[in-house]
Order: sequence, then structure tokens, then C-alpha cells
Amino acid sequence: MSDVNSEEKTNSSIPIGRMLRSDTTGFTFGCLLPEPEVPLFGDFVKAPAQQGLTEIIGIIHNIVIEDDLFVRQLIAAPELPEAYIQDQRKNRQIPIEVSVLSVGYSSENNIIQGLPPQPPVTLDYIKRCSLSDVIDFTNVQDYLALILNSKETPVEELIGAALQRASKARPIEDRELFLLQAGKELARLLSDDLSKLNSILRRIQVNI
Amino acid sequence: MKPESELERIFPDNQGNSGTPGIRIGTVVGGSLSKGLVVKLDAGELPGSMIEQLAVGRYVVVQGLTERRFFCIVTDVALEHTNPYVESNPPETTDSIMAEVYRSTLAYGKANVAPMLVLERDSEEPKPVKTIPAHFSVVVQANEEDVEQVFGKADGDHFYIGNPIEMDQVPINVNLDRFIERSSGVFGKSGTGKSFITRTLLSGIVKSGKASCLIFDMHNDYGWAIKNEHGREYKGLQQLFDANRVNVITLDPETSQARGNRHDGALQIPYDAIEPEDIAMLAGVLTLSEVQVNALYFLRRRLGRKWLRKLLSNDENDQSELDEFVQQGDLIKGTLGAIQRKFEIFRRMGFLQTNVSEDLVETLFQKLNSGISIVLEFGIYGDSLPAYMFVANYLTRRIHHRYVATKNKAFGNQGDEPNPLMIVIEEAHKFLDPEISQHTIFGTIARELRKYNVTLLVVDQRPSGIDDEVMSQIGTRVTCLLDNESDIRAVFSGVSGASALREVLARLDTQQQALIMGHAVPMPVVIRTRDYGPELYEEINQQTFQLQSDAETVAQAKDDLFG
Repeated sequence: MSDVNSEEKTNSSIPIGRMLRSDTTGFTFGCLLPEPEVPLFGDFVKAPAQQGLTEIIGIIHNIVIEDDLFVRQLIAAPELPEAYIQDQRKNRQIPIEVSVLSVGYSSENNIIQGLPPQPPVTLDYIKRCSLSDVIDFTNVQDYLALILNSKETPVEELIGAALQRASKARPIEDRELFLLQAGKELARLLSDDLSKLNSILRRIQVNI
Repeated sequence: MKPESELERIFPDNQGNSGTPGIRIGTVVGGSLSKGLVVKLDAGELPGSMIEQLAVGRYVVVQGLTERRFFCIVTDVALEHTNPYVESNPPETTDSIMAEVYRSTLAYGKANVAPMLVLERDSEEPKPVKTIPAHFSVVVQANEEDVEQVFGKADGDHFYIGNPIEMDQVPINVNLDRFIERSSGVFGKSGTGKSFITRTLLSGIVKSGKASCLIFDMHNDYGWAIKNEHGREYKGLQQLFDANRVNVITLDPETSQARGNRHDGALQIPYDAIEPEDIAMLAGVLTLSEVQVNALYFLRRRLGRKWLRKLLSNDENDQSELDEFVQQGDLIKGTLGAIQRKFEIFRRMGFLQTNVSEDLVETLFQKLNSGISIVLEFGIYGDSLPAYMFVANYLTRRIHHRYVATKNKAFGNQGDEPNPLMIVIEEAHKFLDPEISQHTIFGTIARELRKYNVTLLVVDQRPSGIDDEVMSQIGTRVTCLLDNESDIRAVFSGVSGASALREVLARLDTQQQALIMGHAVPMPVVIRTRDYGPELYEEINQQTFQLQSDAETVAQAKDDLFG
């Protein structure tokens, strides 16, 4: 339990970035220098939509750090002072782009696992889901089908990472049961592709 | 229909009957009325374990969508999977998580269940199925109340014969009226407990007084005490009932006395009463040709009642009389010689006598007609199949004849009808062989059903040797373990929808388990037969006491009334 509580403390609802672009299946937000714990591949994040009527829940599936003009110039410079490097990292010209797969939304305290009716709009704040948000959302496993059906994500890795986050959000004694249930749901969904199922199950087992 | 009532209909509050519903085992996913239902088993609390708890022969109840409850019997179980890849790449047994996920979803158990009876909504009495439950109907294990509802409670008409497998507290009762209404059979390999279950059934029939039994006791199994292979002694019918209910007649008084058996008379058959028909049935056993059998009729016609005595005689006069037939060309010398040689066996039958004071057939008929069951002990003659067949045929022909005459006289007057009779024969396939059953009295009795109040109880280990036509008339079949394919097929001939039970039959325990199906039970049932021991003796004693006290009450009432 101790690590859950400590994680809860670090897991505030402060914004971690702003919306860059979005569509119904997902969105991309931008942020500056990443913290060691935020954002992470497989993390659950939320973004407001429909002017606050709904809150879209998504899972981070890609983090892109692109270069810019200054970086290109600096990269060729010999013996670059540390201050220059830190300045370049903190005051980036181009933000870090974080891609999120939409897997559900909450509306009037109901959690719906499926695509949201409307994507979030630009410059909206993106927040990381709290542990209780993650637990509430992952009590039902229908979102796994959305991940499996997504075309542009590393499905096996993403499910493994997301289940790891969701598992660690729970007390230790609940984790095995949770992962077993998820495994069973995956087995139902992947009954015709057992090599993919085995690959995911092996990733899940590491966390038990 | 109102919406709420429709909702109630689809999701009734109480899925089971009045008691607690049984444990859910799965859902119906396919099948047909003729081939049975396919049930996908639930994963169960310990995933994959459900199949190990479900033996063939067990009862299950399918809860139909329309509140019909279908009583079914498990006929087969199988392991299935959703993807052939599972077979080629099973999860490692050490990998418990992976294995559990697989067992919960991709690999599952399947059961075939044969629907037998249906209990309609608001009905107390189950009826034979004419339809099947809808897709995805829930299947539960039958509980004790379900089984009781089907088989009824033990009473004067129903006799407790055993318990369903793994339901030690639930009695299975055989409807005795229906059991004696048609011919019945007890089948099973030797050593599977045929004699014990037959003795239990006979004690039930004698106890109920619904029929008299004439038991041709080949191996001295029924009359007096018998020991099992472990040396434990069990009571015979004569020890369970008094002389007003059961008499033992012996063919071999010396052996009976040596064994310490009490007997109520010795059977003697006069030579002169024997007819060619009594011997014609033995043609197979004595290897008599058709010509030789025909010669018997000729001899009977020409020599009169003393034909057999003369045939076996060493007297010169008798021999010259026979030689005359040869000289006149009526008989071929070889035929006569062959008959005489083959008839030597009759000399060794000590119960055949020249002079017999009492007409035992009439005595037996009177006893049977007055409700006394007769056990005919063969003693040493039990080892001689010709002797057994001869006596059984001889007596049955005559007693049946008396029954036919009495029944015909009583036509239209129920009160004078002869008391129902059940004739018990062992090694029945020798009597009911397809080649001779058309001509023998046993074939006739089996075919004519209860027309003359006489039925058969055949006890046999080779049912495949019994004529199909006779077999199809066997109403109730009590079958212990059989493993010969042709015997199994024979037992199921003429039983609709029972072919699914083949697997059940082939997997009975070697002892004290039997499959009962047919006329006397509402649906086939695999039972662990009740112990033949003190509890049964006690039950019969109580009943006998009750009958005695009833008789005393009647006698007392008569005294009061008439002084």
C-alpha cells in the first residue's frame, strides 16, 4: 500500500500540457521538458471536451521530441557548456508532442468506455488521471478492444504498459486478480490470434 | 401480455422449483431432440474443473426460457477449444496465470446431455420431451428435489432400488405395477451383481404382493442364503418371507438338505407327462436335427403317453416295438439310435420318475394363483443346461396353459382373473434364441405382453443372443456393466432415444451400479443399487408385519360381525 500512497502524493491534477490537435480517436498535446515521471508511455490522461460537459480519457501511446533550428546549430558545436544545454532543453522552440489514444470519457459521473462524442479543442489543459480515476476507469475492461483495434499504436506494448499502470494503481492484494481478469478479456478478444495474446500475457505476467 | 408479466416470464424470480436451485454448470449452445443437447460448461470456480465434476449418467436440469424445466442425463463429456493453435501450443503447466487464462476462455469443457422429461409450467408431473430448450438456456445440476419429483416417493407401488450416483440421500423408486406389467430384463456381465439386484427386485415384488414369482433358480441364488465372493452371507427370499409368501421347491432334495436349506417340497416329473414339445426346445442343446425332432412326434403318436419311457427302456419288448418301426420303414435306424444316445441325459435327471403321486403342476398353479411365490432350486442340476431348460420349459408351458384357461374363463369378470405371475429365467438367451424363440413358450409370453397375466423377468449376460423381437418387448431393462458392443446394442434396441446412453452403460462400475430404463422408470437412471442387507430385511419385516396385522384386523372384524 505504501507505494500507492506515495504515488498518489506525486500524482496531482496539475496540467501537464496543452492540446495541439485532436480527432475522435485521439489527440496530441504539447509540453515542455518532461519530468522523470510525467508523461510516460501507457499513462492515463484526461482532457476536457464539449466545453466541460465531458472529460475524455486517453492513454499515451507516443512521445515525440523533435529537433529545431537551434538544436541543429548547437549539436555541431564543440565543447558545449552545460548551461547552454539546459537552456535549450527548458526553453524549447518546439514543444514535445505527446500522442494519446482516446479510450473513453466520463459524463455526469458515468464512465463510458468508447470513443467520445467530440474531441478536445486546442490549447485545453491536459491532466494526468489520479489513481482513483485510473481504478474507476479500468474496473471494466472494454477499453482493451479499442486499443487492439487502433492502427497506429504499438498495441502489445501499449496494453502491457497500460495494464501495468492500472495494476499499480491498486492495492497489492488486488493486482493479481485484476491482471487475471484483464488476461481473460484479452483471451476472449484475441481468440483468433493467440501469438499476439501470448505476447501480451507474457508482458502482463512480469507485473504480477 | 403486459410488459411486466413478460419480463417476469423471461426473468422469473425463482429459476428453480420450490427448493434451492442446483449449481450452475453451463449453457445450452446447440443440439437437437434426437441427438441431445450440447452444453458449454462454465469455467467454474477453479477454471476448467467443471468437467471433472460431471460424470456421465449424472442428472442435470435445463431451465428453459418459458419456465419449462428439462430433466436431462449427461451422456458424454469432451474438451474443446476456440482455436486449434491451443492444441499445438498449449500453455506451460508451470505457467499458472497463462494456463488459467486459457482454461477460462479459449479451452472449455463440453457436455452432451440427453433431454428425457419436461416439467411444464404449473405442472407437477414430468412428461416425455417433445421439444428442447432454447439457445443459451442455463443448465444446473439436478438437486435432490428434482430427482424426487421425477421418481416419486417410496410407497406401496414404488420400491426403493438404489440411489443416483453421488446423491446418496435420494432414493430411486421403481414403479412395481409397471415393472410387472410387461416383461423385464436384468442384464450384465457375470460378477456385476445381477443376482443381487434381481433378488432385491424380487423381494420388492413379493413384498408388494402385486405378483407371484416363479423363479427357476439355476445357481441356488434366490431361495436360501447365499455367500458373496468375500464370504459374507445374505438372506434368501425364503428367509425374508414366511411360507405364505415364498415356497422353495427343489429338484435335488439331497443337495438342499446338505446345504441346510429348508424346502417346501421336491419336484418330480412323471415320464409319461412329457410331450415332444417339452423336448423340441432342447434341440439346440441336445443337437437334435429336424428329422430327429419330427421323429419324436411320430414316436409320441405311435407309442402313446409312455413314449419316452419306452425310448429309454432296456426292456426287450419295448426295444422290439421300436425295431418294428425301423423294419416297417417308419423310422431310420440311425435316427432312432441317435435319439436314444442323446436321450441318455434324461436317465441322469433324478427328478424324472415313472410314478409320481402328486400333480405338481396343479399344486404350483394353485400356489402361484394364491399369491405364493415359488423358488425352484435346481441343486446339482443347475450345472446341466439341458436339465434347466427342460424343467423351465416343461413347467412354464403347463402353468401358462392354466393361466390362459383361467383367464379365458374369467373373461369379463375381473374377480376371477388369475393372480399376475412373473416367471424368472436365467441364461435367457438359450430360451429366447432367434432360432427357437418363435416356437417356445418363453417367446410367446414375451410377445403377448400381459394378455394372460404372465410376464417374464429374464436374467442374462448375453442379451445379444436374445431374439430382437423379444428384446423389443422387454419393458424395463436393468443393466449392469456390459462391455461387448453387440450386447450393448441389444440392450438399447427398441428404446427410443437411448442410444446416447451407450457411453453411460459402458462406464458403469463393475459392481453395484446399474442403468435402469424403460417402462418402470420415468427416465433412464444410473443407480448405485441399494445394499442387500439388514436395512432391506428390516423394511421387509415391517411390511410383512403390517400385512399380518391387517389380516388380523380383518379376522377380528369378521369375528365381531359374525360372532
